[in-house]
Amino acid sequence: MAFTLTNEFKAKADKLRAGYPRPDAALIPLLQELQKDRGFMAEEAMDALAAYLGLPYARVKAVVTFYTMFNRAPVGKYHLQVCRNISCHMAGAPGLLARLREKLAIEEGETTKDGLFTLSSVECLGACGAAPVMQVNEDYFEKLDEKKLDDLLEDMRHGRLRGMAR
Amino acid sequence: MPKITIDGKTLEVAKGTTVLTAAQQLGVHIPRYCYHPKLSISGNCRMCLVEVEKAPKLMTACSTEAADGMVVHTATDKVKAARRDVLEFLLINHPLDCPICDQAGECGLQDYYMDYSRAKSRFAQADKVRREKRRVMGPHLVLDNERCILCTRCVRFCSEVTKTSELEVMERADHSFIDAKEGRALDNDYSLNIADICPVGAWTSRDFRFKQRVWFLKKTPGVCLGCATGCLTEIHHNEGVIYRIMPRPNADTNTWLCDPGRMAYKAAQAGDRLKKGVIKNGLIDLEPALREAASRIDEHHEAAAVLGSPWLSVEDNAALARFAKDGLKTKNYSFDFDPEQGIKDGILINKDPAPNAAGARKVKAAAGGLSFKELSAKVASGEIKVLVAEARAAGLLKEELKAGGARLIVFAMNRSEIPAGAYATLPYASYFETPGTFINFQGLERRTEPTAAAAEGVKPLWAVIGKLSAYSGGSLRLESAQDALKGI
Amino acid sequence: MENILLKDKVAGLDGYFAAGGYKPLKKALGMTPADLIEEVKKSGLRGRGGAGFPTGLKWSFIPKDGQGPRYIVCNADEGEPGTFKDREVILKNPHALIEGMAIAGYAIGASRGYIYIRGEFAAEARLLEEAIADARGRGLIGANLLGSGFDFELSVHRGAGAYICGEETALLESLEGFKGQPRLKPPFPAVKGLFASPTVINNVETLAAVPTIIEKGGAWYAAIGTPKSAGTKLFCVSGPVNKPGVYELPLGVAFRELLEKHCGGLKEGKKLKAVIPGGSSVPVLTAAEAMAVALDYEALAAAGSMLGSGAVIIIDETQCMVKLLQVLARFYHHESCGQCTPCREGCGWIEKILDRLEEGRGSAADIDLLCSVADGMKGRTICPLADAMAMPVLSFVKKFRAEFEAHAAGRCCPPEPAGKH
Repeated sequence: MAFTLTNEFKAKADKLRAGYPRPDAALIPLLQELQKDRGFMAEEAMDALAAYLGLPYARVKAVVTFYTMFNRAPVGKYHLQVCRNISCHMAGAPGLLARLREKLAIEEGETTKDGLFTLSSVECLGACGAAPVMQVNEDYFEKLDEKKLDDLLEDMRHGRLRGMAR
Repeated sequence: MPKITIDGKTLEVAKGTTVLTAAQQLGVHIPRYCYHPKLSISGNCRMCLVEVEKAPKLMTACSTEAADGMVVHTATDKVKAARRDVLEFLLINHPLDCPICDQAGECGLQDYYMDYSRAKSRFAQADKVRREKRRVMGPHLVLDNERCILCTRCVRFCSEVTKTSELEVMERADHSFIDAKEGRALDNDYSLNIADICPVGAWTSRDFRFKQRVWFLKKTPGVCLGCATGCLTEIHHNEGVIYRIMPRPNADTNTWLCDPGRMAYKAAQAGDRLKKGVIKNGLIDLEPALREAASRIDEHHEAAAVLGSPWLSVEDNAALARFAKDGLKTKNYSFDFDPEQGIKDGILINKDPAPNAAGARKVKAAAGGLSFKELSAKVASGEIKVLVAEARAAGLLKEELKAGGARLIVFAMNRSEIPAGAYATLPYASYFETPGTFINFQGLERRTEPTAAAAEGVKPLWAVIGKLSAYSGGSLRLESAQDALKGI
Repeated sequence: MENILLKDKVAGLDGYFAAGGYKPLKKALGMTPADLIEEVKKSGLRGRGGAGFPTGLKWSFIPKDGQGPRYIVCNADEGEPGTFKDREVILKNPHALIEGMAIAGYAIGASRGYIYIRGEFAAEARLLEEAIADARGRGLIGANLLGSGFDFELSVHRGAGAYICGEETALLESLEGFKGQPRLKPPFPAVKGLFASPTVINNVETLAAVPTIIEKGGAWYAAIGTPKSAGTKLFCVSGPVNKPGVYELPLGVAFRELLEKHCGGLKEGKKLKAVIPGGSSVPVLTAAEAMAVALDYEALAAAGSMLGSGAVIIIDETQCMVKLLQVLARFYHHESCGQCTPCREGCGWIEKILDRLEEGRGSAADIDLLCSVADGMKGRTICPLADAMAMPVLSFVKKFRAEFEAHAAGRCCPPEPAGKH
């Protein structure tokens, strides 16, 4: 099935492009916008965007593969991104990751069968004073310990986390 | 104009000249991978690091502009160490493919390793990053990402020269690799240049792969006859077999070479190459074929016509002109070719697909003759009973021949060239086998040199015409290409 | 000393106004750009992103004449491990940044500004967008600022996950919609920056300090800190201390004071082993070196390290230096843009050697190899990422060699942190 950009997206795109003297500068914001729809970047979506912007497909693909926030496969409803860098490491990030692996029965990069959780380890999230830190979708959860992590998982399982943007 | 000193030699250079170019002018070679004179500067390979006095760090010679009073050293311990280290970094993840790699013998990694390193490997074979190997990327190329050193010459070529932008470096760090769109062939008209500019064996030519070790190849300067641009080429051959055609960069015409031009040698070595004559679709020995053709021409001496060809050399056109004037003594001949010429794709490919319209016109200037239009009209009206022409030029009169019913005697190299309805076909030597002069769209005269011998009995066209003339009882004798040029 | 950057009750526009906000902008618009630049030069303000380049001097590199647009870009791509100060400024004092950008824009003749913020800071980006909208509502952003005739447009641009975009030319590439790969210099951004136009890129903390400098004068600011390291600095302290967080203190403050007085010392009475004083890229200091050092550009350089971003990472005695270096190597390997050969290949190589050592598969020769690879990377690439990998490697090995040797001999040094898998 061919991927088509919605008129709503095109309207947003035109607005975003107007913010730059060269419209292709809006590529990254546009990709972010596009990812909101499906949660990941399909080749067809990149192709459609490339055609819409009049850019070579290879450039769009190169940008998508360069930046870590573009998901190249579907992710769960909650994308758990545990910081593994130095301050979080010292504050127990490896333990948190191990606990998540065990409780969710998945490895990093995998999604639970019910489609609820994807587990990733990520590099420094820039909140080292509140280590260890985990980003879930776009929200930060700081100063985590095992209890807080367990409660958070329960809240997510029961849909009690409100207003979380994807 | 800045004065720069490199390894003790001082030189005045134009403003904007880089250290690398200035060094080249002084005969100092600075090793490089990503730098290419016809592509933008990328500065990524770090092989060209040199020491510039007063600069705190080593500088890339490819991107550093010469400044007045700049003092550069290219062979200090610091520079040598940097080259050794950069080479080591390039080699750690490079596969040990050399024995089966087509690039072996002309590989930037091998060459510079011998020149600047010769260090033992400190990297475990098992630790090497694995990438995709042997991926067919379009009609002409195979990509081996494991061999790639990510110099991005190919990426820049496709974005800056062909402006097709098929390629990009995907991902980052040591797991980055060259990629194009899934399912889309890398089929721009210049794709084989990528195999040339790739400094390692990542991009190889599907046509050339595994055919010949490069150190066995002999190199003969050539001229591309694929169109009126007349690019200079280098023909790589061994024991009479051509293996590939490469561009011979020159300021007048070309740095690159198009893919069709590179493949032109194929016809000369094709299985349907003619060694004998063809009469009414039947192969017969050359001598009886020549006699038969001569007899048919003799039948209609005054009503015979000769057409020159923009695909033939000046010498062979001259031979045709002399055959008409001094052999047949007919006024029915034309060397009038004036097609629209000029680069049609902004790169190299000419609007005129024939290599020598200007050369044919040169013969016309000396020998006169009918305009192409006049000859066409005569052929169409039936006034001409026999037409002698080169196969592709005869194709220009296809409709007229049908209308007028003249008997067609053609010269062809390959059986596939023979026009439908030709009465007699006589083979001749290609310009890979015999020298010839061609004049390109800029008016530049260029001469081909033979790289291989023609099959036994197959002669240059002027010689075939000489024989035809002898058999048809005329007094014209052509013993050499020089004879053909007499009076022309 | 009162805080310049981190203040209470100034997050909203009303609070910011009540504290005298946007008066400096009005004052600045009444000055000539040349006088403004002179004032910033006088303040001694230096880039707070890590390099410490004098801000006024950077502004003065913008060509005085010439046609076409100029740009002021804020680098809010805060990603250097250990660093979390810019986020604090954005959350607590966003208008100081916005006002600073408007002033900087006026000083260099740029009517267009972009705040490039790391993609993960989604909430912070939204907050900044709201603050810009509020400022626009009062004529502080947009056409004809405060009736001065100077137009200034400002918007937020989110990154998408790449540490390298904190390097200013990589940031520009990213802002133009490309992969974030650093550019060759020259040309420098002041001549050919964003969209090939003259551009100044300043860190959040740098720009947020500008309004106060204009309000109180360069000389006032220069009097804070040390003669060469003027002003206050945001120190972000992470690691096992009782009160980690961001502290605004005059440059030149003693590390000991930061640790003991402000951060409440180490947790649970643990012993200090090492300190990375300026973000993960700078050379590590031993406990003894750290306890004797003052936190400013010169003192830290003299101690063989750097002030960097002011990210102070505290390492206690329970930590394994080999493991920590492996964590850092994994990071730099992950973040190398892949452009320059030494960094692209070297970061991965270093990680592999450290994996061996950490897992007890290494040998004594690996320790020297580690240093040799790091030496081969240093100073040979377009941007400093290769150096950022090499400096921790060389300093960790030099100062904690015994731990590396223990690993090479198959013994693991101090116990792993809880939950090691």
